[in-house]
Amino acid sequence: MLVMNKLRILGITFFTAAVASVISSCGDNKEPGLEFARNMYDPIAYNYDSPNKNFANGQTAQIPPAGTAPVGYDKVMDDYPNTIEGYLAASANLRNPVARTTETLEQGKTLYLHMCSHCHGKTGQGDGSIIKLEKFPPPPSYSTGNSSRGGAMKDLTDGKIFHTITYGLNLMGPHRTQLSPTERWKIVMYVHELQKVQ
Amino acid sequence: MRSISLVFRRIAQSLLLVSTLSFGFQQANAQAPAGGAAPAASSGGGDAAAGAALFKQKCTSCHALDRQVVGPALKGINGKHSKEWLHKWIKNSQALVASGDAEAVKVFNEYNKTVMTPFPELSDADVDNILAYVEVGETAKPGGEAGAAAGTGAEGEAKKEGISNLMLGGLILIVVVALLVIVVLNRVIKTLDRIILQKQGVLPEGEVLEESTAVRFRRLAKNKKFVFFVIILLVALFGSLGWKAMWNTGVHTGYQPTQPIKYSHQLHAGTLKIDCQYCHFSAYKSKNAAIPSLNVCMNCHNYVTASDKYNGEISPEISKIYKALDYDPQTKKYGNNPKPIQWIRVHNLPDFAYFNHSQHVTVAGVRCQECHGPIQTMPEVYQYSPLTMKWCINCHRTREVNSKGNAYYDKVLKVHDQLKKGEKVTPAVLGGLECGKCHY
Repeated sequence: MLVMNKLRILGITFFTAAVASVISSCGDNKEPGLEFARNMYDPIAYNYDSPNKNFANGQTAQIPPAGTAPVGYDKVMDDYPNTIEGYLAASANLRNPVARTTETLEQGKTLYLHMCSHCHGKTGQGDGSIIKLEKFPPPPSYSTGNSSRGGAMKDLTDGKIFHTITYGLNLMGPHRTQLSPTERWKIVMYVHELQKVQ
Repeated sequence: MRSISLVFRRIAQSLLLVSTLSFGFQQANAQAPAGGAAPAASSGGGDAAAGAALFKQKCTSCHALDRQVVGPALKGINGKHSKEWLHKWIKNSQALVASGDAEAVKVFNEYNKTVMTPFPELSDADVDNILAYVEVGETAKPGGEAGAAAGTGAEGEAKKEGISNLMLGGLILIVVVALLVIVVLNRVIKTLDRIILQKQGVLPEGEVLEESTAVRFRRLAKNKKFVFFVIILLVALFGSLGWKAMWNTGVHTGYQPTQPIKYSHQLHAGTLKIDCQYCHFSAYKSKNAAIPSLNVCMNCHNYVTASDKYNGEISPEISKIYKALDYDPQTKKYGNNPKPIQWIRVHNLPDFAYFNHSQHVTVAGVRCQECHGPIQTMPEVYQYSPLTMKWCINCHRTREVNSKGNAYYDKVLKVHDQLKKGEKVTPAVLGGLECGKCHY
């Protein structure tokens, strides 16, 4: 009798556990799940990425009116359009406004590693992770390559590098939406270091 | 009637067996390896082989064999222009254009006056090798090792999903079968009991098995063991449902919505090793680690179409980018009718909790993976951390403040000294005039 009771208790325990595990494993991770007081989750104001019925295209983030300048924007690039003339003018007139210190150079390095190194390589040799896997054609090396706009890569000036980061060149896309002008100048500073790599 | 307890025992034993087995399955499943073999690549011999190396080194930045990149597709170029002309053009195209060569001027104008890099360093033999390679073309397509691995990984995931669903279904089936067995056996026992009683002459022969459902149900309700079984079942059901509801309300751990484009972080962040902040470039300077706009995708996907995996067609997922941008990959021109991709937000922090990415990424130096989990291994992103208040607070309790070189803490110490001296300290000194302090 005692043995039977034990077995029964054991059986019931396992049965309960099995049912509980079956039930608790139910659930769809394609849906967020249970929510309480949803109205406390949603913002009253519009988030930049939330849908918005007030605009014709249904988005909150609208393209700013022409002529709008974001904070930290420098108007200077309007004078240097994405043409060969603009490129040469940038080379002649633009100098890096960011003072070169250990700190800014370090920031430039960090930005370079985040934004450039997967193509241009950690040392600027055009051997980044994407290039090594042959997913993308290699860019020229900063120290030994030649620019498609003439001259050696190691002779590129402040203005030329800044112009290229801003507008892109050949297969390199424009990076002005991802990097503020100051950030671009910090990268220019670090690229000059990589031009010296042997 | 006694035999019901026997039935219970049987069921308990089989359930024990099934649950042990299924746990075993789960374990084995979790360890299912995901590896991919790369097909071997080879290329032709002779001049073309030397040309292939040179082509890769010098030309692929702007040219491909079978499609326009920056410059024209080069397949069949030997038939279009004379060998001497090609030599001159490759070594210094601008000199050729400047000399007024009609063919050169035409090509130059056709490609929006894009200057081709001069290659004076190439010898005649080098140029011949390259042209030979262009003529022969790619003899064997190099296989994408990474792609194969990623594909296998995704398949593995799908298989795992399938088995766990099967397991779930199996368990439910077993519970249902167990209930059926109980009911059937109960009826069999009753019939046998009646036959025995009839044999013994206790029951008259004529009374047959006609019983109304209500009567049967009442008899079942009087069966203590059955009632006990039902109660256990209900307790298990409501107990676990309740437990789950209590703990998981508002906690979306594991939430993995289906996104409009099957973007794989495993491929981009894991295999290709693109830094998180290349695409989520606002994580270190703003409150939001924004979803990148499509122009960021186009920095690579103006070239990368993954067509080698889709028999020369553009990958259907990459086509979605082009369609959203109203971009024509043939002419490389953008149209006027772009439509945004509606990504589905995975991490939904309630609006009553303020969270700032830049504060955590830049000031504290928290790595992305500490909160978002092994994102570089996720073919499809899911929410890794619970994002509950307890989770936030536990980290804030244990992590050390990184005050080194942080002017904010210097200021706090300065103000502290001022207070000790009895000087007046205004909120403005502590940054109380910053716009974002109120208008965040």
